[in-house]
Amino acid sequence: MTSISGGGISRRTLLGAGGAAALALGLGACSSGNSAGSFSSGAASGPARKGGVLRIARPPASSGELLDPASSLSAYEYLGALYNRLVRRGASGETVADLATQWEPNADATQWTFRLRQGVTFHNGKPFTSADAAYTIKHILDPDTASPQAGVLSIVDPASITTPDDHTLVVGLKTPHAEFPTLLTHYNCYVIPDGSAASIGRTGIGTGPFALKSFTPAAQGEVTANPDYFGGRPTLDGIVFSAIADVQARVNALLAKQVDVLAQTPLDHANAKAVQAGADATVTEIENAQINVLPMLTTAAPFTDVRVRQAFKLAYDPASVLTVAAQNYGTVAHDNPVVPDDPYYADYAVESDPDKARWLLKQAGAENLRLDLYTSNYQSGFTPLALAFKASVARAGITLDIKNAPSDSYYTKVWMKRPLCVSYWYTGRGIDQLLNEYFGSGSSYNETAWKDSTMDNMLGAVRREVDEAKRKQLYQDAQKYVVDNSGLLVPFFGSRLTGLSKQVVNYAEDGFEFDYQNIGLKA
Amino acid sequence: MIRYVLRRLALAVLTVWLASLGIFLAVHALPGDVATQILGRDATPQAVAAMRTELGLNEPLWQRYGDWLSGALHGDFGTSLVTHQPVADELTLRLRNTLLIAALAIVLGIVLALVCGVVAGLTRDRWPDMLISTLSLAGMSMPEFVIATLLALAFAVAIPIFPAVVTAGPDATVAELLPALWLPACALSVVMAAYIIRMLRTSVIDTMASEFVATARLRGLAPARVVLRHALPSALLPTVNVVAMNIAWLLGGVVVVESVFNYPGLGVLTVDAVHNRDLPVLQAIALLGAATYALLNLAADVVAMLLNPRLRRRAVA
Repeated sequence: MTSISGGGISRRTLLGAGGAAALALGLGACSSGNSAGSFSSGAASGPARKGGVLRIARPPASSGELLDPASSLSAYEYLGALYNRLVRRGASGETVADLATQWEPNADATQWTFRLRQGVTFHNGKPFTSADAAYTIKHILDPDTASPQAGVLSIVDPASITTPDDHTLVVGLKTPHAEFPTLLTHYNCYVIPDGSAASIGRTGIGTGPFALKSFTPAAQGEVTANPDYFGGRPTLDGIVFSAIADVQARVNALLAKQVDVLAQTPLDHANAKAVQAGADATVTEIENAQINVLPMLTTAAPFTDVRVRQAFKLAYDPASVLTVAAQNYGTVAHDNPVVPDDPYYADYAVESDPDKARWLLKQAGAENLRLDLYTSNYQSGFTPLALAFKASVARAGITLDIKNAPSDSYYTKVWMKRPLCVSYWYTGRGIDQLLNEYFGSGSSYNETAWKDSTMDNMLGAVRREVDEAKRKQLYQDAQKYVVDNSGLLVPFFGSRLTGLSKQVVNYAEDGFEFDYQNIGLKA
Repeated sequence: MIRYVLRRLALAVLTVWLASLGIFLAVHALPGDVATQILGRDATPQAVAAMRTELGLNEPLWQRYGDWLSGALHGDFGTSLVTHQPVADELTLRLRNTLLIAALAIVLGIVLALVCGVVAGLTRDRWPDMLISTLSLAGMSMPEFVIATLLALAFAVAIPIFPAVVTAGPDATVAELLPALWLPACALSVVMAAYIIRMLRTSVIDTMASEFVATARLRGLAPARVVLRHALPSALLPTVNVVAMNIAWLLGGVVVVESVFNYPGLGVLTVDAVHNRDLPVLQAIALLGAATYALLNLAADVVAMLLNPRLRRRAVA
């Protein structure tokens, strides 16, 4: 461990001055827990001052962004401050209570009963009841909402949602689902007041730790602490959100101390170094924040042949791709998109074997394959990943030509249109939603266009299985099947380097969700 | 002269109309439309179809252009496809914000250019000229976003005098925007001044070598009087058009510079509208840009005529 004393401040002075948080930051910056390098993983924790206003810079979703959680245009960073869900994802991927305190299925998992928290009020003073919860689900399913989560929740039969009393919600399903509550942990599922569809986009009335004070799409907005929050009053007095579209402008704003936290801003290595060098800002590493993928379109040559897909998975060396593309800020994934800390994770890997990859390509009649690999500056990590992958598969005689596509139409003209490209997903989804979205033949996010009846049957079977141990086995079988057969290349889970002020303590996030309740400014 | 101006105005209207047609077709040729751009990865076929119907994107191209044109002729520029707010309202605020930067940049740029250009011209090949010429060449060769970023790092991060970004939205008051004007205006004026300095330097050198300046000198007029009263009006003549073109260029320059400073002006709106394929907003911006170009060119020619009576007579004839 290197010394932290410098600039005339000894370790003792720091401690004596009550600078435990500063110490933690200093230590974190000097020695990281993982082998990767010099950025601290996990932000400073320690005593926070009561109150204070946090300033968050965020990229606007679009100039038409809304506070409607169900909408695809939702202003994402506001949601967790304003609303609660029925259930949410806990730190280790389990489903935990939020506005619902208990939930149980019937015998064949076709009907779920949720017991709701009592004594909760919305920011406008109205009590939260089962009618609001029922309305929220119907609002997501309403075709007029065009919610991205509507497809996932299409197993819900809207007519069968009932409210036996003010604090009980019963949801009937068209097909059994033993993990149904995990689908409600998605950020589109925040609970809104009954009948608020027309106004929620502007009012943002929820039950959350903060209430809306002002909101202008793609500009500035402010939330203030909700003293009546059922989880206790949050540490901060308020949060100001500023929309800054340009990444470099966001970084400059942090360096100039105009904002305290950069949301949805994965820093590339150069920017991370620049932030780290600043006197008042620091960099935190959020581990396994992003699933880096190269989808092989299974409907396009040469990936229609499963042997070619297998060859691509065997051809590259994930460890070297991780090193070259991301300086080891990440975890090797072995083509399984489920993060290792998921309770249902299958520890299964097919070791890299370029000779076998060559042999498989020969079998498939695709020797000396030459193909375009599309990338874009949509995210700073895309092109490094493309280049690292290209270099790694060369061992198996595969030649990839890197094509750089414009970022503003990448997801409309390249993704799911070209046979091979670079893409990413944020982690934080339950395994059921994740596997169904990526590999279910009816999903609009199935980016490899994989329609496989065995996979669909496996996903259906696991939903019907109410026995926990058997379900775990089925989930693991499904992951192995994905690794062996799917069109998804998953070289590694990327860490996200995020920039924040040294004044910020108790910063925590899962996927892209902040812990707004406890985040604070240094005492 | 009045007939000449009227004819030029008619030509300007034609130019603006052609620009509107051009931008309409160009946006149409871009991949994707407002529905796919906004929805991004959430662009399920159902969501895209619903949005297209809602926004009237399924109507034929020419009908949409015709609707827009007849609205624009009546002063109605339609509503943004993204925010559903009237384009005119949105544009007015943004235009005000951009004009604040532009006005400051023009004043700074022209003063800087006049002083440096004349000094360089008068001290040809001596050290002040060398210094000014080298710096103006550097200013010309650096893209404005590089200058903007360097200025932000120097005067917002290293020496925190000015804000690095504007955190408020387009409805910020002028007082709120005031501290944020300086860095973007400086970035723009440096690039703008560089061109004018080069032009003015050459022009001053030529004029100072001319016979009428020599005569003025020989008659014993004070050097300051020779330069300011006799040489400068003549030297400015070829520069006026360059100044006008540079002011018009500002409209393009702000696009990049505003992004760097997150300044809520026309530039950021343009980038956003292009990204979203928000046609009504883009059309209005293009109209504004084309009209500015046309009018500034006309203004430059009129100023040139005022400075040079010979041109005036020829135009009337």
